[in-house]
Amino acid sequence: MRRKGRKIMTLKKISKADVLELLECCAKTWKTYVPLETEGKDILFSLLPTSGSELKEALGKVNLNDERVIISPKDIFFPQLDDMFYFDKDKIKENVEPPAKKLIFGVKPCDAKAINFVDEFFKRNFEDIYYLSRTKDRLIVVIGCITPPRPDACFCTSAKTGPFANDGYDLQLVDIGDEYLVEVGSSEGENFINSYSDFFKDAQEEKLVKAQVVKSQAAKNVKLKVDFQKALEIMKGNKDLEENYKRISERCIYCGGCVYVCPTCTCFNVFDEKKDGNGIRRKNWDACVFEGYTREASGHNPRDKKVQRTARRYEHKLKYDHSVTGSSGCTACGRCLTSCPVEIGMSKFIQEITEDKKGA
Amino acid sequence: MKNEYLPYKAIIKSIQKESFDTNTYKVVFSDEKIRNSFDYKQGQFAEVSILGIGEAPISITSSPTRKGYLEFTIRGAGCLTKKIHQLNVGDSLYVRGPYGNAFPYEEIKGKNIYFIAGGIGLPPLRSLINIIMDNREEFGNVKILYGAKTPDELCFKQELEMWKKIPNTEVWLTVDKSYGDWKHNVGVVTELWKKTDVCSKNAVAFVCGPPIMIKFVVMKLIESGFKNKDIIMTLERYMKCGIGKCGHCNVGEKFVCVDGPVFTYEEIGKIPAKERAI
Repeated sequence: MRRKGRKIMTLKKISKADVLELLECCAKTWKTYVPLETEGKDILFSLLPTSGSELKEALGKVNLNDERVIISPKDIFFPQLDDMFYFDKDKIKENVEPPAKKLIFGVKPCDAKAINFVDEFFKRNFEDIYYLSRTKDRLIVVIGCITPPRPDACFCTSAKTGPFANDGYDLQLVDIGDEYLVEVGSSEGENFINSYSDFFKDAQEEKLVKAQVVKSQAAKNVKLKVDFQKALEIMKGNKDLEENYKRISERCIYCGGCVYVCPTCTCFNVFDEKKDGNGIRRKNWDACVFEGYTREASGHNPRDKKVQRTARRYEHKLKYDHSVTGSSGCTACGRCLTSCPVEIGMSKFIQEITEDKKGA
Repeated sequence: MKNEYLPYKAIIKSIQKESFDTNTYKVVFSDEKIRNSFDYKQGQFAEVSILGIGEAPISITSSPTRKGYLEFTIRGAGCLTKKIHQLNVGDSLYVRGPYGNAFPYEEIKGKNIYFIAGGIGLPPLRSLINIIMDNREEFGNVKILYGAKTPDELCFKQELEMWKKIPNTEVWLTVDKSYGDWKHNVGVVTELWKKTDVCSKNAVAFVCGPPIMIKFVVMKLIESGFKNKDIIMTLERYMKCGIGKCGHCNVGEKFVCVDGPVFTYEEIGKIPAKERAI
């Protein structure tokens, strides 16, 4: 699958002016997901129509430059609401998405990291057919961040998850002015370039130098720095963080916003809906910060206190994920902070426990 | 890739009333292939559902030594389980599994076995009790110490009588509140320590019940010389998927549904105290 540091024979580039045309071509044979501006001017990963005036209109809304993609592309594989199967009185009809080639174009490096992290989660122990069937024949095209999309919240350089990806992509585009230099991360990525060779032109070696300059400037543009490594060590150690959790729990309104926008949060509920004898069993996103999340039928709730749920959220991301997978569940995208009505976020928590600053 | 979320139809063959709010359902899969391939171990659970109502994790209380059917002992506590209590023989449930780890079996051969349970805590142990009873000569003494709020709330009343008659097997019962012709003990389950020897020598203890009971029983077992690794219990948590995905039963870095529900007290000690809830 995806290999690190793969070398290709010739260096390739694509002109920015050609990108929309490439997407138009791809939309015919791939389910193509790309950041689109909504009516309300938000930017969300959306599926391009396959042809016609609808496609033309959608292409007019593609926005690869403004990088405020609100939700990571996790919902392409893990939709907020997922119909698992339909049933009537006696029959069950499963609803697994049929295999389809998917192109996810314009993924942020931190989100690519998250996608790979979540893939591994849904493969571990039992395989989740609903998630994994959507990841088959998938191509991830990353566009590195020249400026941080959330300038006061992104801290990818601290977590080493950006502003450019080192692995976990099929192709990565480096913005070198009027064109993107193309980095190939997998044989699938290489095949893609060959299939659309009209768009991908040979690039001179000196473009590599330019790309390097762009990358190091991009890293400098990420102003928010936290001591991520120290935070992981503190979480692993015996330091009592109850006071920190308590302070956060006094301010947190437990709305679940941070976990919904988190690209690595995967908790879900399962419930049935029924009408006239026909029904659906569905999954929908759930959140560990909700009081009802752990409440048992008997009424007993092992995590009934706010402070326990706050601890759970931070410890899961920074401690347990790390001890199970070897990497933290936080990709430093900063969305938890920008979505929070009371300005709590992972970067602030890390600053607080590493004693950079008070107040998560 | 198997779709783990798809349940299979199972017909209720009999319903045994255990107490005012608890019944044991004997079910048989409609599909012969599923019936023959559903292999489970003592202590595992299944996700049991009524389509249109929902799904819940329920211990399999039958013994894997007794083939062809499954038994679930279900207290009508939540909206699904209350609905199950309205079902009759011939109605269907939907079942998938088995899930979770299992109680040790081979490892405890030759040992003295203690079962200490409270209320609805006996059903998860019943599978192991019966597999031991079916291979009785391979184990040492077996003592079952069982408590409930009232005599009516004891599960498996007939089986308790039956187990008592098996050589080298003791059954000790206690209730918080007695009435009628109750001949056994009154008081919490740890009061039974006064009635029978609880000796840690070559022994292992299985504990299941409400959190407060578990706490006091474990204290008492440790006082009696049991090592943490020889105290075996189940953790109960709200679950949705049963396969380590939905996240509800995540404690520390463990998923109760995959890494548990069976844990030794030694393993439980490694889970942070605030996540343990016992």
